[in-house]
Amino acid sequence: MKRFIRNAAAASLLLGMALPVSAMAADQDLDQKVDSLAKEVEGIKRDAAQAKRKSLGQWLEIGGDYRFRMDGLWGQTAAFTDVTKTFANTEQTLQSNFFNSAPVPPGFPSWQNQIGGLMNFSNNMKQVSSFSGAQTFLANNQQMLQGIGNFAVQVPAYKPENETLNTNRFGINLHAKPIQDVTVNARLVGYKTFGSQDDSAFSNNGNTAFFGDRVGVFDGSIGHVPTSSLLDIDRAYATWSNVLGQPLWFSLGRRPSNNGIPSNLRLNNERPGNAGTPAMMIDYAFDGGTIGWAPDIDALPGAYAKICYGRGFESGFSSPTNSLKDTEFLGIAVIPVDTDPLRVWLQWNKGWNVFDFPVMKNTAFGDTAPAVELGSIEQWGAGSMSTLKNVGPGSLNFFAETGLSITHPNDNVSANAGFQGLLTGTFFNPEAPSDKTGWSVNLGTRYDYTPTATKFGFEFNHGSKNWITFAPAADDLWTSKLGTRGNVYEGYIIQELKLQPISSYTSKVFFRLGYQYYDFEYTNSNNWVGAPVKIADIKPTDMMLLTPVKTAQDLYATFEVHF
Amino acid sequence: MKRAASVMVAVAFLVFGFFAVSSIAHADEIKVVGVITKIEVAKDGKSATVTLKDNETGNPVAVNVTDDLTLDKFNDHRILEGDGIRCKYEVINGKNESKFFKKTAGC
Repeated sequence: MKRFIRNAAAASLLLGMALPVSAMAADQDLDQKVDSLAKEVEGIKRDAAQAKRKSLGQWLEIGGDYRFRMDGLWGQTAAFTDVTKTFANTEQTLQSNFFNSAPVPPGFPSWQNQIGGLMNFSNNMKQVSSFSGAQTFLANNQQMLQGIGNFAVQVPAYKPENETLNTNRFGINLHAKPIQDVTVNARLVGYKTFGSQDDSAFSNNGNTAFFGDRVGVFDGSIGHVPTSSLLDIDRAYATWSNVLGQPLWFSLGRRPSNNGIPSNLRLNNERPGNAGTPAMMIDYAFDGGTIGWAPDIDALPGAYAKICYGRGFESGFSSPTNSLKDTEFLGIAVIPVDTDPLRVWLQWNKGWNVFDFPVMKNTAFGDTAPAVELGSIEQWGAGSMSTLKNVGPGSLNFFAETGLSITHPNDNVSANAGFQGLLTGTFFNPEAPSDKTGWSVNLGTRYDYTPTATKFGFEFNHGSKNWITFAPAADDLWTSKLGTRGNVYEGYIIQELKLQPISSYTSKVFFRLGYQYYDFEYTNSNNWVGAPVKIADIKPTDMMLLTPVKTAQDLYATFEVHF
Repeated sequence: MKRAASVMVAVAFLVFGFFAVSSIAHADEIKVVGVITKIEVAKDGKSATVTLKDNETGNPVAVNVTDDLTLDKFNDHRILEGDGIRCKYEVINGKNESKFFKKTAGC
């Protein structure tokens, strides 16, 4: 019995000692499995994080827009003498008389000599680039001038109209974040007229154009007037933000210098933020750069300032036959407050070595290019904009802004423009250079009725006789409305589809119906070559390069998709 | 033109100088520059907890935002996860209360 008990106790003791060992072994096995699982989970987390870092959505955003637009355009011109048609008529008539051996009027040289005289006149005219040189040239060529006058082509007043001008516009926006604090933004745009691959629909089909910014397409307006199916680079710029840990940024490229505030309202675009320029002063596709500073000031929420540079024309290599300088722009913008309820902006711009004609192809004037610099143009502007939420069942937006332009002509005149200078002179009637000051005011409002996603807007702007701006990229077919020397009234309705956005939070689809009425008081809106002439004072014998328009209307409708 | 350029430079310095003088830092404010990793708007819409990944340290910083203008931007999706932010906050009752919150400037 004792032995049994002893053995049982020993066996129990042995068993008791073995149990912890086996339990320990099981625990160890469990621990190993837990460790292994934990490592596996960590690995999965790392892989997931890496995959997330590498996924396109972390560093690349792609968006864009499609727009169909139908415009009904109606105008009323004033009677005038068309310069281009007059010179063409002179040349053609002389040549025809020569080839047909028409009798020469008594006292006149032979047709051959007259043709030669005209060619010499044209060639010598192109050598003239100064005001005094123009006066001397005209004094020495009175007989030829009178002769050309005999072939003058007067264009009676008429009503140009295009009841249905349809366009397609497609834009792709890219926003990439390659490394911390550096972004690249790009916008590619294709904008064309139905059934066309050129700009003839808005430039008057090879006939004398109506406005200087719609003679043809050039670097400052490409992508913003209908031309062809080609995708143009509207914007492409790289920005380094938080430079040296400070609220500084530095940006270079093809700038977001078009469709700025307050045009975002009528275009139903998002507010541009720090990017962009006031549309009444600059609506021009510039290549250039910006240095900006957004200090952290509690009393001035959203405050920032920036210095912007742009090049409007590259003159290339200098040579004995090319003494042109680059056309350069500088702007200083100060925005002391930038919030939804209040945005205030102040801006100063200046353009130096302003050209007479930009580089354009296949216009009514043929291919054009700068031939002479006419001086500099300075602008001052100020404005404010406000978005007030919960005004009734919606939001109220309104803005008011004003601008001042001052031209500083040099002694040069443009031979291609009949010796007109920077807001000076008329065709073959040069004027001594003198600074000209103009002003403009732009007012508007838009009410966004939230229950039905309907927006109602109205805008008015007025430009004085000598008002000049840099806005050829404005989304207006007749001419940039904010550069008008006169009054423009615009009303519009936007109806968004109240459907759930999918591709991005800002995706939307909407219809827009609008009407613009232009009442021109002076000629040459949006053109700095030549002195403006009061519309009411134009005589049929006045020689003009562009068809003077008294009034213009644009009834438009769009269907737009932003994604 | 030279005179005008000098005047412009002087005006620019005045403006930038004004901004510099106007910027007064509070001693107990903490500044963080980073990227939003998470936005959680409270059910009553009167506040939001925003988690920023600090550019300098890589550490997450949770900040409580209560100003209406910024909350509006969260609601309108004008500020989103992934946006770069400059923020100043104070620690009040153990919570990081935002005093200044805006997107990184640049264009």
